[in-house]
This record gives sequence, C-alpha cells and structure tokens, in this order.
Amino acid sequence: MNMEISIAQQPGLSVVAISGDVDLSTSPKVREALLDCIGIGKGVIVDLSAVSYIDSSGVASLVEAFQNAKSKAQGFALAAVSDTPMRVLKLARLDQVFVIYATLDEATAAMA
Amino acid sequence: MNNQLELLVEMGRHFAATQDIEETLARALARIAELIEAEGGALFILEPSPTAEAGTDAVDQLVCHASFGPVDIKGLTVPAHSGIVGRSVTHNRSEIVRDTQSDVSFDTSMDAQSGFITRSILCAPLSVKDERIGAIEVVNKIGGAGLFADDDLTLLEALATSAALAISNARMAGELAEKEVMRRELELAAEIQRGLLPTRDATGAVPICGVNRPARVVSGDFFDYFTLYDGRIAFTLADVSGKGMNAALLMAKTASLFRCLGKGDLRPGRLLQRINAEVCETALRGMFVTMVAGIYDPLSGRVVLANAGHEPPLLHATDGTFTGVPASAPPVGIPPELTGGGPVPEQVLHLNGGTLYVFTDGATEGYVAPGEELGTDGFQDMIRCGVADGLAAQARIDRIADSLSGSGEVLRDDITVLAIDDAQALQKRRDRGDNVSVENNPGREACGKPKQGQPETAVVSNGSMCALSVPARASSLKLVRRAVGETAAACGFGQEQCQDVMLAVDEACQNVVRHAYPDTTEGDMVVDIRCERGSYIVLIRDFAAPVDVALITGRDLDDVRPGGLGVHFIREIMDSVEYMSPPDGHGNLLRLKKAI
Repeated sequence: MNMEISIAQQPGLSVVAISGDVDLSTSPKVREALLDCIGIGKGVIVDLSAVSYIDSSGVASLVEAFQNAKSKAQGFALAAVSDTPMRVLKLARLDQVFVIYATLDEATAAMA
Repeated sequence: MNNQLELLVEMGRHFAATQDIEETLARALARIAELIEAEGGALFILEPSPTAEAGTDAVDQLVCHASFGPVDIKGLTVPAHSGIVGRSVTHNRSEIVRDTQSDVSFDTSMDAQSGFITRSILCAPLSVKDERIGAIEVVNKIGGAGLFADDDLTLLEALATSAALAISNARMAGELAEKEVMRRELELAAEIQRGLLPTRDATGAVPICGVNRPARVVSGDFFDYFTLYDGRIAFTLADVSGKGMNAALLMAKTASLFRCLGKGDLRPGRLLQRINAEVCETALRGMFVTMVAGIYDPLSGRVVLANAGHEPPLLHATDGTFTGVPASAPPVGIPPELTGGGPVPEQVLHLNGGTLYVFTDGATEGYVAPGEELGTDGFQDMIRCGVADGLAAQARIDRIADSLSGSGEVLRDDITVLAIDDAQALQKRRDRGDNVSVENNPGREACGKPKQGQPETAVVSNGSMCALSVPARASSLKLVRRAVGETAAACGFGQEQCQDVMLAVDEACQNVVRHAYPDTTEGDMVVDIRCERGSYIVLIRDFAAPVDVALITGRDLDDVRPGGLGVHFIREIMDSVEYMSPPDGHGNLLRLKKAI
C-alpha cells in the first residue's frame, strides 16, 4: 500500500495521520512531516490507525520526533495504533516509552 | 703476439665464466699492466653523458671502469675530449707521453689531489672497426727512470686491440642475453595469459567452451566464463585493439574486471557499463575493447546478452538457421561522457537447443588459404559441417581455429571463439517435463534499458520456494516483503508471525541497501526463500565487499535512540541469524532461520 500523510491543525495541536507502508523508501517523508510539526502549538498527535507496515526506519522517525518534541517541552503522542505497528513497537520495547492513546479523541482530550 | 692471443682467450673465457664485464676488465687491465711492467693503469669506457638533455646532441664522457695501481680512480669521469685519454679516443690513435711535465695536455690537478706522481704515460684507444669503445692508459714504467719506450706502446696497442675485441664480443653477448631474457619474459606473460582463460572441461558436461590462438606470443583477445550461485553461467568474449604487449596488458585488466565485477553484477549491460567506466579511468588513449558479456541459464535456455561494439555473435538454431546479434553500444574504452553513459542495452535470446557462437574478427578474417579469408559464410559453413560430422561444440570450434592456423602463414590476428551449446540442457529440460518451448524461430526480445523506478526481477527455481534477484535499493523492499509474506503464510505461519518474518527479512535487506555497496555503484541482492525440515529459511546474498560481522550489534534497549533497531528486530524474531561463506567466496551471505 502506498504511504500517505495528512496533517490537520487543531487549536494548539497538529494531528499527523499516516497510512500505508512506512519503510526505508517512505520513512524520510514521515520524518520530515513530523519534524515540521514540532515547535507549533502544544504538541503533536500521530494517528497510526491506517499504518499497514512499519520498519525500524519508521520507528526511528517516531523516536526522533518524540525526542525533539520533548526538548521543546511539547507533547507527543501516538493514537489509535493498529495491530501491526503496535507489534513492532512492542518488539522494540517502545510501547512503554511512547505516550499512546487508544483513540484519536482520547489523545485530543488529554493533550488539549 | 703470444701474450696478445693469451689475453684475448683469457678475457673471452673469463667473461663466459662470470658474465661480469666489469670484473673481466679489471683482471685484463691488471694483466696488461703486468705485461708492460707499469706501476698503474686505468681503463676508460666512452659513455653518453647522463646530464645531456634529451633532444640535444649527445655529449659523451669517459668513465674509468677499471683501475690498477697505488691510486684507485675507478668511477672517475672526464669529458670525452679532455686530456691524453680524450685525445687518444677522439683521434683513435695511441699516445705516448714520455715525460708528463713537458706535455700541455697533461692535467696535473689529479696528481695534486692523489699525491701520485705521473712521470710517463702510454695510452691506446679501444676500438673495433668504427666503434669507439674507450682507451687503456698505463703510467710509469717500473724500474729505471720510470719512463716508457716505443716498444711498450706497440705492445699496449696490440693488447688494447684484443681487449677491445673482447669487450665488443661481451657487449654483443650481453645484448643477446638481454634479448633472451625478453623472450622468456614474453613467454611467461603468455603463460600467465593462458592461465586467465578457463581450463578446458574434459567431461563434456559444461555447456560452454572456447578456443584462443594468439597471432603472436601474447594475445589481445580473451574469453571467460564462470557459474553463478544459482547455476546460471556468466560469460564474456573480448578483443582488445592491437596485438602487442600493450593489448595483452589491457586484456589482462579487462579480464580481471569481468571476473571481479561479474560476480556482483548480474546484469550484463550494466556490467559492461561499469567495466567501461573503470577502463576509461586509466586506459591509454586510442585503445579500446570490443566486448560481449552475457548470462546463460541452462534451466531455461535463455541468454541475456550485451554487445559493446563487437562482431555480432551468431545463434545457430536447431533448424540450421543463423541469427546475428549486432552491437548495441560503442566499444569499451570510449569515455561515457561521449556516449551519454548508461548500461549497454541487453538482448534476450532463447537458444532452444541451439548453439550461440561468440567470436573475434580474427576468426572470420583469418586466411584458410593464402589471401583467402574464411569470412562469415565460411565460418557458418564450418559450423554446419561440424554439426553434420557429429562433433561436440569444442571440437567444432577447434576445427575452425585449426583451419586458420594451419594455412602455413603467421596468423593475421588472434583467433578466439566461444560456444554455448544448449542441446544437453534442452534434453534435461524435456526429461524434467518442463514446459519447453519448441518454436523453431528463436524468439528475440529486445529488452532495451531497464525501466527506471521499477525493480527488475529475475526469478529462478532451483529447489527454493522463491528466489528474487533485485537491485539493492529501497524501492525493491516492498517486493521482497510480498514474497516473504506469501511464502511465510504458505509455510503455515500465523498472521502475526508472517508480519514478524516480513519485518526481519526487510531489516536484513535494508542493511544490504544501506551499507553493502558504495554510494556510487548499484548492486544486486538475491533473496532466496526455502522451507526445509520444519524451518523457514531466508538466504540474503549481496556481491559487495565482505562485512565485518563484529561491527553489527543489536541496540541496547534502554538507549532510546534511532538506529540499531533493525538488528534487534532480526535477532528477536528469527531463531538464528548467521553469516555464511558464499558458494564462490564472493560477497556476503546471510542466513535467517525460524522454526515453523
């Protein structure tokens, strides 16, 4: 599946929705989109509900964005993580590191 | 007279025994000084001055090669026209200076330096016919007033004549020896060159064979072939412009490039592009190589061929027809910036049991009879006759080479022929019940340049479930994941396990994409998926420089930083991860295994 990114600006928040395969050929775009949102408003929510595949380079992009947000005292959360990316986050033991919300609404409510 | 003959014989014998002209001269000088009863002596040889600039008239100098007596002046160099020695050499006549103090030519500075007092000098030129070699000088007669008499000069002249003859002979012998050394060097070069060609197969099981007959000792032609990891055979045949040592050296370089790069690049067109880039970086201007490179698959009878400026190879189909495969690019050695670069376009041939002949123009332009070229028609006739006589491919091409080298004349050009005979492989395909195409018309697909952005795949079947050969780039990974997903599911893995295995293989391939090949070169990777004894096995092969396994480590999980995760995923998901040694020792082979 082709990877797509859509960014929605809510008051004080950027919601980055990613769909499709995030692999070595597409993760640079994810990294760029996420880093672009850092520094705007209170934080960033990444919607992973439509991600069909993610590899280490995709996970690395999420980690880098998370670290950048933290250094700027911004919020950074993952929302609605589907089974496949969740499995990869667990393999990397990163499910304990990221702030993860079950749904996008929960994430928005928590970070507003 | 006796003394003179003795000296000549002695010098000749001594030189023959030692091959050392310097030592022979020293002994001869000592002997001459002894016969004349001189206190000391020196032998000067005329040599071109090393300081003379190129293009100007050569300035000669006289160098002392042997010295006898109380003061050693060996190595002393004087201008060719100076002093008594110079005068003797210049005018090719003997000089006697009975009393040095009254001769204006005598250079007293040497005596001042050495403390030796020169009272009397005899000097005789060393020359043979018109060749001026140098001069022998002796000083101070032992006993009496130390002065020489005219008789002494006559004796020295006679001895000098003999010495000159001996030196001249020794020089000629030296030149002959040098020529002999050169000849042997050339023989050694030819031997090395023959070693670069593949050894002949005596079993008849190899479907490819060749013959090479150099016109001179060394050859500018070559052919080579080797079997790839999956049973396909890479082959080449090339003709370097020229026939001398320079052609032979460029041949050796090109042959090595084919061996090295050919094992890593499975696309003949791209291989020729890379060989061209390497040759152009260093090749001498004006030298080029016409070259054919290809890959033959005995499992399908398919040949992928790229032709850089070479004589069209001929496919002899089972119905007796011949089809030529013309060149699709200029020869190797033409700088890429002149031709626009890019891979040499490839062509695909289906041998269908026929034989493909690749040959140099030495074969078609060779004389079968004085002044009568074999020609392409003659070449085809000889092949037809060979087939009709029931000869194997090797015997067929040997007969062509024999007919050209047996015409009693020196070969006009190197003769090289390579043949790929698909007959046996076709029989095996039929026995195996493969869906063998039996069209008589050998289908030729023009591939042209590979499409950009789309991974080119070559699927082979050699017992594995699936084997992909893809360019080592990120855009190939999706295809690899699909193959892994499908095969893992077919092996009985659950959905989550399929996803895991897909991730592990993807990560392993990423390492190849990211690290195997230098940025400037594009290489291939081969992913071979097998299901053996309850295990799902993936072999990932690249053709780059070997990796240092010790440098690959998993990530410390407490350290939340990007990178290093991939190796951790692979180790977490698979039961075993091993670096294996590739079958032909080239590149890297990683084996991932997971129990089903």
